[in-house]
Amino acid sequence: MKRKIGLLLALTLIMAALLSACGGSDSGDSESGGKTKIRFASWDNAEDLDSQQALVDKFNAGQEEIEVTLEAYGDDYDTKISAGMGSGDAPDVMYMWNYPAYYEALEPLDSYIDGEGAEYKDNFYEALWAYNEINDTIYGIPVGFTTHALFYNKDIFAEAGVAEPTDDWTWDDLEAAAKTISDKIDGAAGFSYQLQADPYDFEMYLWSNNTSYIDDAGNVEGSLNSAEAVEAFSVFQNLQKEGAAITTEKGGTDEFRSGKSAMYIYGAWSVSTLDGDGMNYGIVDLPDFADSGKEAVSILSSSGIAMSRDSKNKEAAWEFIKYWTGEEMNKERIGYELSALKSVVESEGVMDDEKSVPFYSMLEKSAGYTPASFLVEDWGGLSEDLELALERINNPTTLEDPKTVLDEVAGVH
Amino acid sequence: MKRRKELKKATPYIFISPWIIGFIVFTAGPLILSLIMSFYDWPVTSEAAFTGLGNYIKMFTEDAQFWKSLKLTLKYAAIFVPLNMGIALFLAMLITQPIRGVKIYRTIFYIPAVISSVATAIIWGWILNGDYGVLNYLLSLIGIEGPNWLVDPAWALMAIVLTSAFGVGTMMLIFYTDIKNIPIDLYEAASLDGANPVRKFFGITLPIITPTVLFNLITSIISAFQQLTLVMLLTSGGPLKSTYFYGMYTYDNAFRHHKLGYASANAWVMFVIILVLTAFIFRSSSAWVFYEAEVKGQKSGRRRKNK
Amino acid sequence: MKISRKSKVIIYVLLTIVAVYFLAPFVYMFFTAFKTEAEAIAYPPGLLPKNLSWQNFVDAWNAQPFTTYLKNSLLVTVGTTVGQVLSCSLVAYGFARFQFRGKNILFMILLATMMIPWDVTMIPQYMVFKSFNWINTLKPLIIPAWFGSAYYIFLMRQFLMGIPKDYEEAARIDGANAFQIYWKIFMPIMRPQLILIAVLNVITVWNDYLGPLIFLQDRSKYTLALGLASFKGVHSTQIIPLLCITVIMIIPPVIIFIVAQKYIVEGTSGSIK
Repeated sequence: MKRKIGLLLALTLIMAALLSACGGSDSGDSESGGKTKIRFASWDNAEDLDSQQALVDKFNAGQEEIEVTLEAYGDDYDTKISAGMGSGDAPDVMYMWNYPAYYEALEPLDSYIDGEGAEYKDNFYEALWAYNEINDTIYGIPVGFTTHALFYNKDIFAEAGVAEPTDDWTWDDLEAAAKTISDKIDGAAGFSYQLQADPYDFEMYLWSNNTSYIDDAGNVEGSLNSAEAVEAFSVFQNLQKEGAAITTEKGGTDEFRSGKSAMYIYGAWSVSTLDGDGMNYGIVDLPDFADSGKEAVSILSSSGIAMSRDSKNKEAAWEFIKYWTGEEMNKERIGYELSALKSVVESEGVMDDEKSVPFYSMLEKSAGYTPASFLVEDWGGLSEDLELALERINNPTTLEDPKTVLDEVAGVH
Repeated sequence: MKRRKELKKATPYIFISPWIIGFIVFTAGPLILSLIMSFYDWPVTSEAAFTGLGNYIKMFTEDAQFWKSLKLTLKYAAIFVPLNMGIALFLAMLITQPIRGVKIYRTIFYIPAVISSVATAIIWGWILNGDYGVLNYLLSLIGIEGPNWLVDPAWALMAIVLTSAFGVGTMMLIFYTDIKNIPIDLYEAASLDGANPVRKFFGITLPIITPTVLFNLITSIISAFQQLTLVMLLTSGGPLKSTYFYGMYTYDNAFRHHKLGYASANAWVMFVIILVLTAFIFRSSSAWVFYEAEVKGQKSGRRRKNK
Repeated sequence: MKISRKSKVIIYVLLTIVAVYFLAPFVYMFFTAFKTEAEAIAYPPGLLPKNLSWQNFVDAWNAQPFTTYLKNSLLVTVGTTVGQVLSCSLVAYGFARFQFRGKNILFMILLATMMIPWDVTMIPQYMVFKSFNWINTLKPLIIPAWFGSAYYIFLMRQFLMGIPKDYEEAARIDGANAFQIYWKIFMPIMRPQLILIAVLNVITVWNDYLGPLIFLQDRSKYTLALGLASFKGVHSTQIIPLLCITVIMIIPPVIIFIVAQKYIVEGTSGSIK
């Protein structure tokens, strides 16, 4: 018996040794043939990947010392990054937006930025930095951004005989228009919004109404369930109750494209798709809350490029980061990413494009706001409860009273 | 003489050695690692901190979602397992009938199991759409107003059951292989004795396929408890967490909330539950599973302990 | 076996109802692959496209390096199937036809490995494979299959235990050793079941996307399933290419299934004699 076990164990060890030996080629090395290798992870899906690959190839072609490989993670981006970080194998450079969750594994970039001179930093729109830093340390360079604005279908508005939205609209104006459209046009609703909305995005409505998820001291109670917040949550529910709005599974682009809804709020991601469809549509600033005494603000969905804290080639990684967020790249990406650089916006006449103007206008208005996700320690727990709360309030089969639901959530946090 | 005997004793071990080696190298390591992880607080992006049994205690006493997801998953399993096994067996019987064209049906029944889960989820998402889905349209033809399957928390679970029944082809195929290989002589002898189809099924078919029944029972229990992909793609655990199965709960803990230690503890709890359940079923199996090799063994007079 | 006319009708009706349930989604998906994108997202969705745009399929195939993906998928599928058939039958034979110390415990351990949720062992496994330098190669997907998988071992073992002991006894009297018995007698008997396992494995591996997702990094190593999943983006899903590729991906497994059916159906009546 003992001999058998001994034999088996020996066999196993030999196999293990053989296996690791046969894998020992340079797939794990970061240098081969003299060039420093950098791994760059992107979350884009198939559509945009080819153009991204072309841009990476361009960098490699002009580089004698650095070679970048593009890794496309698609929809499962978070899973792969987490797995990589957990096993100490994260890519050197990666797209990043969820800094609170990942910053501890990222390299602080302040010293690199300062090394480039003041002009470098100033060329980026100020509002963007708040979205790429934690505790006043910068962890990512903005690569693009979007704010949210109101999209509307010009054809449906014309058909219903309703005046088109303007930048000065309030939610009351929107309500009136949406109701009229829903009544008059068969098969179309005036407005649509996402059922399982992202609490991160939703906070902008609270901001627009002079409140937020937490107050300055970090308390949820009194802020999340304040009268202003309840009003913000109720606006959407009321629209649904009156039959002026429908809920959508995703952001609402599909419904907008098929004419099921005449208005929806979204970022600039859909602009190129809608243009490709040949849709006759317009974009304006977000509607204001009439009693708030100010103009509506928007959340920033800013993506940045970050560096892994465990990268073995930080200098090389920084070179690539500069390239990817530099002027040339920004120009290439015009059309599917709003440029984060003032100089590019100017030189390319971005503001002449009426589709881009509302997003930059919202950008200007929205400086100085930091999302709760960056401030709250247990954002994971709070956001999960907020998600559920949004569902409870907006699910057509439940339509719970916002005040009750928000009181509940505030009570737990 | 002794060497020969030793070799004979070693033989079974040699046969199963590939698995043992593979287990030690590819499975045992990660397994032990995940067990160790469950005693730590590990936020993936930074250092792990030892918490002993902290994760487990928190799970059982402070985490209401743990109990909710657990109960939900048990409920799902209780429906899914008998339903799917019944359907699989029924279909398998159907396609063993010697009638013309059965081959085509066989293929049709199996195709859904071959489609990738991504596509399946998208298609069923369309079919189950409350306003424009085909299912509700068909129901309306017979006068029933279908619920909003994926939006109404009261019905979402049934929607998942419906969609997961789609993949019954694999179990059906396993049953079918077993049934088809039952020697025809047995049936013919029974016919001579005047047995009707029902009697043949319960007297011949069912007893002989009990080994595969056991297999399908255990594997479908395991897959019901671990259900994740379908729920993630079709409902994301909603609406209102009505389909937030245990698998999703664990996954979210690991990759959304970055609590890898906690998620490992979640996984081990589920593992133990399945283990206990399966051991119980196995133990009971000696009463109802019929292995021909064993029976023959008894017949030839060899003493064998009753398992 | 004679079946009455009445029974035949009932059986056909049942078969057809079930067939509709199983086939309808696939038919729907199939036709949608030919539609334009506008038609696909239209509400309410119609069944048939206005034109059959075969170009959709060409575009979908060219949207990503699918030819490379196909090569990788083939490598993995064939590599694992051969490995599984050989190793699982060996191991199952050991468990099913012998009595030895520790058998039950080892078997329970075997079963237990099926019960482990994958997403938690995923990261430790990643670390193990990283230490072998196998990450971003097809090795983590292929090599473990040569050591058996609990699912198929369990299945084979169930089948094997259904065979009477007489076979071995007869062969042993003739002086055959265990391996010869395994190879010359049992393997041929188990041919239907072996083919069953092969088919099951082909389909599982062909569609597997979690494994490739975790262990592969750059596109030159992707399998078809991973390429398919890439059409699902963070903001929108490219529905037409996704469906086109899905339809294409279904064809090989279905063909294999149709061909394999004949062998699975063989039956033991011939070999018993």
